[in-house]
Amino acid sequence: MRDYLKFFRWIFVIIGVLIVVLLGIEGLHKAIASIGYYERINTECTTTQRVFDHADVLTDKEEQKLEELIAKREKQTRCDIVLVTLNESLKEYAREIEPGVSYDQFVRVYAEQFYEENHFGYNKSNGDGVILVDNWYREDDGKIYTWFCTTGIVKDTYDDMDIDHILDRVYRDVETNPYKAYKTYVNDFYDDMLGTRAFDVDVPKGMSLIVGLIAAVIFILVNWKSRSGKDTTTAVTYVEGKRADFSNNRDVFIRKTVTKRHIETNSGGGGGHSGGGGGGSHGGGGHSR
Amino acid sequence: MIFKCKNCGGNAVYEPGRKKMYCPHCESLDSEDIVRDKSITQCANCGAPITIGEYTSASKCAHCGSYIVFDERVEGVYEPHLILPFKVNKEMAVEALNTEFRKRTFTPSGFLSEKSLEGMNGMYVPFWLYDYQANYDFAGTGTKVRTWRSGDTEYTETSYYDIERHMHAGFDKVPVDASLGMGDGEMDLMEPYTYADLEGFDPKYMSGFFGEVYNQEAPELEGRAKEKVKEASETLLRQSLGGYTSITPRNKNLNLERDGINFALLPVWMYLYQYRGKTYRFHVNGQTGKVVGKTPVSKEKVLAYGLSAMVFVSTITSLILTILEVL
Repeated sequence: MRDYLKFFRWIFVIIGVLIVVLLGIEGLHKAIASIGYYERINTECTTTQRVFDHADVLTDKEEQKLEELIAKREKQTRCDIVLVTLNESLKEYAREIEPGVSYDQFVRVYAEQFYEENHFGYNKSNGDGVILVDNWYREDDGKIYTWFCTTGIVKDTYDDMDIDHILDRVYRDVETNPYKAYKTYVNDFYDDMLGTRAFDVDVPKGMSLIVGLIAAVIFILVNWKSRSGKDTTTAVTYVEGKRADFSNNRDVFIRKTVTKRHIETNSGGGGGHSGGGGGGSHGGGGHSR
Repeated sequence: MIFKCKNCGGNAVYEPGRKKMYCPHCESLDSEDIVRDKSITQCANCGAPITIGEYTSASKCAHCGSYIVFDERVEGVYEPHLILPFKVNKEMAVEALNTEFRKRTFTPSGFLSEKSLEGMNGMYVPFWLYDYQANYDFAGTGTKVRTWRSGDTEYTETSYYDIERHMHAGFDKVPVDASLGMGDGEMDLMEPYTYADLEGFDPKYMSGFFGEVYNQEAPELEGRAKEKVKEASETLLRQSLGGYTSITPRNKNLNLERDGINFALLPVWMYLYQYRGKTYRFHVNGQTGKVVGKTPVSKEKVLAYGLSAMVFVSTITSLILTILEVL
């Protein structure tokens, strides 16, 4: 047992340090959150519903879980967070309100209307908040459009790049796992608003177990057989003066080449981007797939 | 020859702890007289017939227990140029072994207490020591690569250098064991010996130990010495080529010139242990106490530690991931 503790002593130290760091960070987060809490003061908004799954891509249980998550995140971000899924053409609806509006803007019109009609906003009607409208219907042009509409403080926080980024992340899973995608929307929104996202790596759940397993396999293979001993000689063991002499030691610069490569920043799920809002109180951006 | 104590007639042996000739019977120091032998088939002390191996130069009489150094095997062509006297005595060797066994985490705990000593010998192992002058000419092209970003563009700059090296290194006494009974791998792991303690040959250092003459001639074994020198030269050259991303050699020429060869006897303790029906063989460097040999491995222990490693590493990984997530 003593050998065991001694053998793994550094591991124990590392685990201890990590736990302390983790507890410290969480404590700090809680402290920050408790300072910033204040209740929603919008009285005009009559609904408590935030998830409107008209396209029926979520199960009842998933809807309920999203509602719970949103309730928590709203308090933390002091913003309303709304999600609407649709499965219908918005062409007529949108062109009635804004004649001649282009295909990619239908969802924008809908999002802005929906947000205003329901008086969403954490601080006041049509105040701080965000709405994501994902219309699963393929419009005449064969595309599915999504809009991320920002209002109030959210409009100030999000620039076009931030919107692209969050929509990219939503699009990563939306076709295969809508629930995961919309959860990403809520959680990333929270991270963006609080500026708490340092790394946006998506780590699979079993990852740490796999790392541990690999470590164990290597460990066992290395220690399965005893080795005779270590080679304790070096390159200079038998060299006189313990060093080699270099009577010629020449490094002459001849030439250099420079190559350029353009870095793709657009990683949207194969879809187009459309920026800009309709002016007024909303901002936002959309993607299509 | 036999070293006899002047005071009591007992067999005087070399005692590494005292660095002196010692008579275990009357405890006299440096009281030895040399009694030369007439034949390698007869004990110079008691006259009992003895049979020795083809290469044996020092042995022990099975009858009277005297240590004999065979005159004709340490003279003429067999006379070693150098000898490195034992520095580690029996007690020190055993201590070195036990320390090493405890250090090896996966040795079964029973090994320390249950093992039985089957045999133990201090032996002067024949080595050829080769000297070389190594001259290495190298020419080639090296690149250094630097990348940076500006806006949406990534730039990669590759700089090309013309490299030339002329390296010289004098290699002194590169050892190769000349005993067929000793494994090359084990003897290589015995290295390094500290050559400052090398002395001109004196047979008295062999009294109390076993010994061999070289089993193979120097030219026969030179290949192994050259291999060692080549490997070391490559490493030294490589160390002088740091800082490059890639190197394409144009010309590489290593020239080895042999300076000298010495026949030397280097000290090794051999220990044989019996544990659960198997024999385990260990070598201890008679000068430095370095231990070479395979200990049994407790598979249960390795598996248990491996499992622990899995749990710990998983814990650390998930802790790190959690920290990154909440950051």
